[in-house]
Amino acid sequence: MEMQKGKGGAAGGGGGGGGKLLLSTLLDAKDELEERLERCVGIVTSLTNGLSEREANDALNAHICKGTPQHEEICLGLLTLVLTEPSQAQKCYRDLALVSRDGMNVVLQKINQILMEKYLKLQDTCRTQLVWLLRELVKSGVLGADGVCMTFMKQIAGGDVTAKNIWLAENVLEILTEQREWVLKSSILIAMAVYTYLRLIVDHHGTAPLQALRQKEVDFCISLLRERFMDCFMIGRDLVRLLQNVARIPEFEQLWKDIIHNPQVLSAQFTGVLQLLQSRTSRKFLACRLTPDMESKLLFMTSRVRFGQQKRYQDWFQRQYLSTPDSQSLRCDLIRYICGVVHPSNEVLSSDILPRWAIIGWLLTTCTSNVAASNAKLALFYDWLFFNPEKDSIMNIEPAILVMHHSMKPHPAITATLLDFMCRIIPNFYPPLEAHVRQGVFNSLTHIVEKRVLAHLAPLFDNPKLDKELRAMLREKFPEFCSSPSPPIEVKIEEPVSMEMDNHMSDKDDSCYDNAEAAFSDDEEDLNSKGKKREFRFHPIKETIVEEPVDITPFLDQLDESLKEKVLQLQKGSDTEAQCEVMQEIVDQVLEEDFDSEQLSVLASCLQELFKAHFRGEVLPEEITEE
Amino acid sequence: MSTETFVKDIKPGLKNLNLIFIVLETGRVTKTKDGHEVRTCKVADKTGSINISVWDDVGNLIQPGDIIRLTKGYASVFKGCLTLYTGRGGDLQKIGEFCMVYSEVPNFSEPNPEYVAQQSKG
Repeated sequence: MEMQKGKGGAAGGGGGGGGKLLLSTLLDAKDELEERLERCVGIVTSLTNGLSEREANDALNAHICKGTPQHEEICLGLLTLVLTEPSQAQKCYRDLALVSRDGMNVVLQKINQILMEKYLKLQDTCRTQLVWLLRELVKSGVLGADGVCMTFMKQIAGGDVTAKNIWLAENVLEILTEQREWVLKSSILIAMAVYTYLRLIVDHHGTAPLQALRQKEVDFCISLLRERFMDCFMIGRDLVRLLQNVARIPEFEQLWKDIIHNPQVLSAQFTGVLQLLQSRTSRKFLACRLTPDMESKLLFMTSRVRFGQQKRYQDWFQRQYLSTPDSQSLRCDLIRYICGVVHPSNEVLSSDILPRWAIIGWLLTTCTSNVAASNAKLALFYDWLFFNPEKDSIMNIEPAILVMHHSMKPHPAITATLLDFMCRIIPNFYPPLEAHVRQGVFNSLTHIVEKRVLAHLAPLFDNPKLDKELRAMLREKFPEFCSSPSPPIEVKIEEPVSMEMDNHMSDKDDSCYDNAEAAFSDDEEDLNSKGKKREFRFHPIKETIVEEPVDITPFLDQLDESLKEKVLQLQKGSDTEAQCEVMQEIVDQVLEEDFDSEQLSVLASCLQELFKAHFRGEVLPEEITEE
Repeated sequence: MSTETFVKDIKPGLKNLNLIFIVLETGRVTKTKDGHEVRTCKVADKTGSINISVWDDVGNLIQPGDIIRLTKGYASVFKGCLTLYTGRGGDLQKIGEFCMVYSEVPNFSEPNPEYVAQQSKG
C-alpha cells in the first residue's frame, strides 16, 4: 500500500497540517497527537534555546522536577525531536536517557501509539528515525523495547511488496539479526519474530532484492527454529501451516525432515508434528499479521455493519488490500483472523450485524487464483483438522460450516467446493495422520451439532443440489451425518408453496433450521414419524379430493411406464394410506441418480393438478370442531 | 455555537450547516467557465445520502470511504436536485475513513419536482 499522498494537494511537511511528523494534505484535519507532540517540542526548545549544554540540562531537569505532566512534556518533546530532527537525534536521545525518571515508559507508550495509530501517515524521515530509535533502545537494554519491536513488526503488511513496506521488513530484520543476544532473552519476541518472518518469506520472491531479503529471512527463521524450538513451538498449529507454505525452500525442506523423522534433534521435549498440530494457536499470533488499519476495518465490519450493507465496505477494503496478485496471500491471514480472533458476543450474534461467515464467503469468492483459493480453504478449515472440544473453541470452526450452509442457495459452487475440500483434506493433509484428521473433522461436526450451530447436517451433506460424486463421497465418509428419516423431496411445483429443504437466506438465526416451517404438517398422522423436526411428509388427505376428476392425460402420456402407472394409481385411489405408499414409491424413483429432469417437470405438473385442492389449503374440514 | 445537522434535515436555502458524513462515490470532474474544476460526490450519514459539489484541489483529494466534517455548508437546488456546498469561511476536513455506518436511502438529491417549481419561481 502506497503512502497516502493527496493527489492534487501538497504533501509532506508543507501540506495542509504543516506538521513535521505526519503527512497531510489540505483535506486532512489537524492531528491532535501531532499537535500535542509539537507543543512539547516547543516547551523543550524554549527552555534550552541559546543555553550551553550544561545549562540546558539544568533547565530541563528543573522543569521535570515540577511534576509528572512536566516530566511527560520534556520526554515527549525530546522524543519528537529525535523523530523530526535527524541531526539532533543523537544528542536528544542522550538527553532523554538522562532525564527520564520512569525507565522511558512514557516514551515507549508514545512510540507504540504512534506506530499503532499513525504509522501509515508518518513522514519518511520519521520512519527512518523510529527505526534508528528502536535500535538505540535495544542497544541500551531499555525494558519494553521488545514490545516496541513487536509493534513495529505488526506494521509490516502481508501481501505488500511496495518499496516502503519492504524497507520496513528489511530494517526490522536487520535489528533483530544484529541484536541476536538481546532477542534470545525474550521468548515471546522469538515466537512473534518467527511467525512474522516465516509468513513474510512467502511474499518475497521474483526480483533479486526480494530474493536476497528472503534468504536473510530464511536464515533468521531457521536459526531461531533450530536454536530455540520450544519457544517457537509456543505458536501452535499455525506454525505448521506457515512451515508448510515454505516447505520447498531447501533449508525448510531439511527442517521438515527433522520434524518428521527426528524431532528430538530440535528439542528433547518435542515429540513430533502431531504434538504441534494439537496445540491451539493463540490469538496474539493470528492478530499480529494484520496491520492496525486492517484490524480496525474488519472489526468495524463485524461489529457495526448490518448484513446487506456490506458491499461498499468490502469494495473499499478490497481496493486497498486485495487488488494485486501479490496481495492474495493476505487472504489466509484475514481468514485465520476472522476465525480465531473475531469472536462476537451473543448480542452481536443474535443481531443483524454482518456475520463472520459472510465475510469469509466474500474472501473466498473473490480469490483470483486457484492457489489462493486452496490456501484460503485450508486456512478456513485449519482448526477442524485436529479439533479437540476440550481445548479448541467452537467459534473457530463455526464460520466454515455456516458458509457452507448459507451458500447452498446463492452460491452452491462454494458449498460444493468446501464440502469437497472437507472430504479430501482427510487423506491428503498428511497421510500418516489421516486417522487423526478424520477424528478432528468428525469432532468438529459433532460439536457443531451439539452446540446447535446447525441442528442437522443431513440437509447440507445429503442435498440433491450437489453433484452425485460429491454426495457419494459424503455418504461414504460421513454416513452418520447423512441419514435422514425420510428422503428429501424436491418436486418442482409451480405453486408458491415450496417443499424445498433449503433454508431461507433471510434467516439470520443460525440455527434457523429449527424455525423453518414444513410446508404441510399434521402432528396427528405422521407418515414416517421419527421425532425429528424437519420431516417432509405428505399430509394424509382426510377427505376424497375434488368432485371433478382432473384431466392429466396429456401429461401422463409423457411419463414413462412405471411412473405413469403410479400416477394413475394416485389419481384413482381413495385410500390415503395406499396413496402415500405410491407417493413414496414415486419419490424413491425420483431420487434415483439418473432420473430424467424432463420427466421431473412433467411429473410435477401431474402432481400439481392432482393435489390442487391440497395446495389451496383445503385441508381443514369445513366445520372446525373442537378436535 | 454550531450544532450538527443530519442529512435528512437539509433543506434548500439552509446555511451554516455543520455535518459529518462518509463519502460513497466521487464523480467525474467538470471544468467550469471560470477555469475551476468541480466534482459531485455522493455522501451519506445514518439518515440518508445527498450530493455535494466540491471544487478544485479538495475535489481531487476526496476519496470514497473518507469521513469528512463539513463546516458552514449550505444547501441549494441545482437542476432540480438538492445539493450541498461548502460556504464562505467553511471547510471540508477529513477526520477518518471507513468506520462510519450510513444509509444510502433516502437519497435526498433525487430530482424533486417541488424544488424545480421553487427554482422557476425564484
